[in-house]
Amino acid sequence: MIGALLGHPRQRLRAWWQSRHARTDTWTLTQRNIYIVPTRAGFVFAAVLTVMLLAAINYQLNLGYVLTFLLAGAGFVSMHLTHNTLRGLTLHLKPPLPGFAGVPLPLEVVLSSPTRLQYGVGLGFEDADNRSRDVFVDVPVGGQTSAHLAFVPSRRGLHDVPTLHVETRYPFGLFRAWTVWRPSARALAWPAPERPVAPLPAAPAAAGETSQRKPSDNGEFEGVRAYRRGDALKHVVWKKAARTGELVSRDASHAMQRELWLDWQLAQVAGTEPRLARLAAWVLAAEAAGVAHGLRLPGVEIAPGSGSAQQRRSLDALALWS
Amino acid sequence: MSTATANPPWLPRWPGWSHLPRDSRDVLFLLAVIGWTLAPHFAHLPLWCPLLTVVVIFWRAQLAVANAALPGRWPLIAVLVLAMALTWWSHRTLLGKDAGITMLVLLMVLKTLELRARRDALVVFFLGFFIVLTNFLYSQSMLVAGTMLVSVWGLLTALVLAHMPVGRPPLMRAGALAAKAALLGAPIMLVLFMLFPRMAPLWTVPQDTLAKTGLSGSLRMGGIADLAIDDSVAFRVRFPAGARPPPRALYWRGPVLARFDGVEWNRLDPATSTAARRGAQLRVRGAALDYEMTLEPNRLPLLPLLEATPATDADAPRIDGQRAFMRFDLQWMTERPVTERLRLTARAYLDHQHGPQSDEPSLRNYTELPIGYNPRTLAWAQALRNEPRYAGATPQQLVDAVLLTIRRGFTYTLTPGSYGDDADGSFAIDEFWLDRKQGFCEHFSTAFVVVMRALDVPARLVTGYQGADPDLQDGYLVVRNSHAHAWAEVWLAGRGWIRVDPTAAVAPERVVASRALRLQPGVVASAFDAVSPALMAKLRTLWEQANNRWNQWVLNYSRLQQFDLLQKLGVRSPTWEDLAYLLAGLLSAASAVGAAWAWWDRHRRDPWQRLRSRIERRLAALGVDCAVHDAPRTLAMRVRAQLGATGQDLAAELDALDQQRYGRSAHSRPSPAWWRGFAAAAASATRPR
Repeated sequence: MIGALLGHPRQRLRAWWQSRHARTDTWTLTQRNIYIVPTRAGFVFAAVLTVMLLAAINYQLNLGYVLTFLLAGAGFVSMHLTHNTLRGLTLHLKPPLPGFAGVPLPLEVVLSSPTRLQYGVGLGFEDADNRSRDVFVDVPVGGQTSAHLAFVPSRRGLHDVPTLHVETRYPFGLFRAWTVWRPSARALAWPAPERPVAPLPAAPAAAGETSQRKPSDNGEFEGVRAYRRGDALKHVVWKKAARTGELVSRDASHAMQRELWLDWQLAQVAGTEPRLARLAAWVLAAEAAGVAHGLRLPGVEIAPGSGSAQQRRSLDALALWS
Repeated sequence: MSTATANPPWLPRWPGWSHLPRDSRDVLFLLAVIGWTLAPHFAHLPLWCPLLTVVVIFWRAQLAVANAALPGRWPLIAVLVLAMALTWWSHRTLLGKDAGITMLVLLMVLKTLELRARRDALVVFFLGFFIVLTNFLYSQSMLVAGTMLVSVWGLLTALVLAHMPVGRPPLMRAGALAAKAALLGAPIMLVLFMLFPRMAPLWTVPQDTLAKTGLSGSLRMGGIADLAIDDSVAFRVRFPAGARPPPRALYWRGPVLARFDGVEWNRLDPATSTAARRGAQLRVRGAALDYEMTLEPNRLPLLPLLEATPATDADAPRIDGQRAFMRFDLQWMTERPVTERLRLTARAYLDHQHGPQSDEPSLRNYTELPIGYNPRTLAWAQALRNEPRYAGATPQQLVDAVLLTIRRGFTYTLTPGSYGDDADGSFAIDEFWLDRKQGFCEHFSTAFVVVMRALDVPARLVTGYQGADPDLQDGYLVVRNSHAHAWAEVWLAGRGWIRVDPTAAVAPERVVASRALRLQPGVVASAFDAVSPALMAKLRTLWEQANNRWNQWVLNYSRLQQFDLLQKLGVRSPTWEDLAYLLAGLLSAASAVGAAWAWWDRHRRDPWQRLRSRIERRLAALGVDCAVHDAPRTLAMRVRAQLGATGQDLAAELDALDQQRYGRSAHSRPSPAWWRGFAAAAASATRPR
């Protein structure tokens, strides 16, 4: 235990470093939260200037001095320019949409700059697991621009959005200015659906009438009801809607006739996560087949229904079940 | 498929500058900058190197326009090996200045063939600055400085472009930013340039052995003719107001040549000649003449000082960074060849004598003549000596007699044709003295010295400059390389060495009016001169004045000027450390100002945001809540809902603000007048009970 604690000073340092930054979804860059250090190119530049100065001294070239000092001045100014590129920027993370574990989950960061046109602002993840190429944007003056990033949640559940860095090397690449941003938003990851999809469980006959009636696949519908939020668009009776001006849906309970319960008990695989994965796959399959489906997990029951809201409800329950 | 104006197959179609893909455009821009930077080197590189450069740059440009793949690693290595072999072949080494610059140019050019990532751009960038610096090794003129300023701007622009990863940023924007960074950095440059302590070279660097001909310390017939066509400035001199001596008194002493092997004149070797041990024995009289001299680099360890500048502490030249010393023959030398402009102050005495006053064995050095050379001249001298009227003549009378001969029968011309083409020049003086009788200073002086020696009068040849331009430039007297001159000195008992200028005997205007040696101008120049000689002269004067300022303020800025500056700032006796302290102080002050500005800037916010927080406080006092995302219009609605009639004015003000910010003619910042109206309306509004 102690060994584990002492064994990763770097990780502990990183954790301490990150914990210094409060979580927030809107991050305004000021003098206090921007760091700046020379890049490797900056150090090479300094070495080149030193050699040029030596050459100017040894060959007694006054124009050599002028050139060296001109570049030194420009390099020094570039430090301020680099810092200015970030200062005053405001970043805002839009609430992330849920996605499946193991699949890149898109994030949208809105950058706005009140006073200056900012070039070459890069965003990326601090975290080594999500390290990828930075996304670069230019921020127009007084306007906004969006940067699209994605991180891959490794497992289902609620995830903190990984720590982001916002950095720039503009204009000369001699200095790197960056800030560390811990967004407070959390992203929900649904269980990764099982592949290939196991066959859907057979629907038990509902009491009485449903067993006698055959599903009507010939396009006739048995009844309509007022549109309810979450009804699939394909179930809307557009002709009638066009006549009356009101949205009506085919009555799903009549149209589908069967209620499919996706039950924890029916998912016959070993282990919790594989079961949840199979259930997630079933939810998707049932929705794709247009079959009303309900979900039963130990301690959770979601009444049958269909449509994207139903699917979302079911997947959320699977993601959060514990 | 083919049109009338079809390109040859190897040339890609030019899509137009604005249709080029961004990467191609950036590469073409960088290639142009590289070409511009390398071009001044082409003059002094072996011929194959510029050729290779041009070919590779065009190849790379073609690849960029066609968007084709770059060559692989092996072709590149092959070209590099070839280039190194050619460098070896040209310079017989891969080290040293010239070979090094050739290699640097080649590396730069070949690097363009593997410009892929941003890292490569940085390599090109750093190499580019080195090449800019190497251009200054050859010339630091204003023209070169201007050219290289463009190069630096171009390289910085390319660097900015490499750090604009998004879209297709306009070149002008990157260029403007590069210029802005350079301009903002200019004060730093200025302070560093003025105050960075100048020091002597840290270690000796191989100097160019190539010297300008003429005053290099040895002379053959025709040597000064090379200088005669060189109209460039050799040095500039300033005398105190009203103390400017007449041109005929301006003899700038260079190497004294006393050893004659029949063809070539050389200096006496101080180690072997007895004369060297006797010293200069300079005796000065009369008024001292202070002067200040700015010497152009002549790549010789030579100071052409005014005759005679003594070596005493009060009079000796004071030079920054160099030590000067005087030879026994009164010639001033420096430790190292003068490769940069020198400014010095010294004191001369026009009225002076030097050399031994009585005959002594060391003077035999100055009567030696090689046997077998110029026999007819020696015979002529013997015949003169045997003339009855010169029996028992004093050396002074002999000098006068020979000068009279010159005055009577000789012609002064700068284009006498060449002497000594036969017999390796063994009879060159015979040819001049007895046959053709025309020439200029070097012919008259050498022949005069030979004749005087044949008459057993100690004599020697002095090279240097004589006279100056008739007009002052910025208060400076300009002496050009075409003022190069050769004259003679003879030793007379009781007086020492006496200057005799045989050229003055035949062409007094050369010495009295100080007319520079000048050959016939070429066709174009004479056409110009014919059209508007006044304009030409004026332009030339303007240019030379600008050049002079450039030399004084930029190229010759050295420790001397730094200390002058410190003295003007009130430092009594400036030292190296004072400079360092001042520099460090100024830089710390600048950093402190920068930090203070950044601290102040931290509190700076968008004016709309600042206004908004003020509005929020006012509304909160009235019991109206504001959310972050509420527009003024929303706030107005809420004010109407919550405050009712008393809030009408306030709501109207908020609506007006909404118009100001989001309306058709939106302002870039809130108008101050609005706040006064809003504050008044807020004061009249009352909080609901």
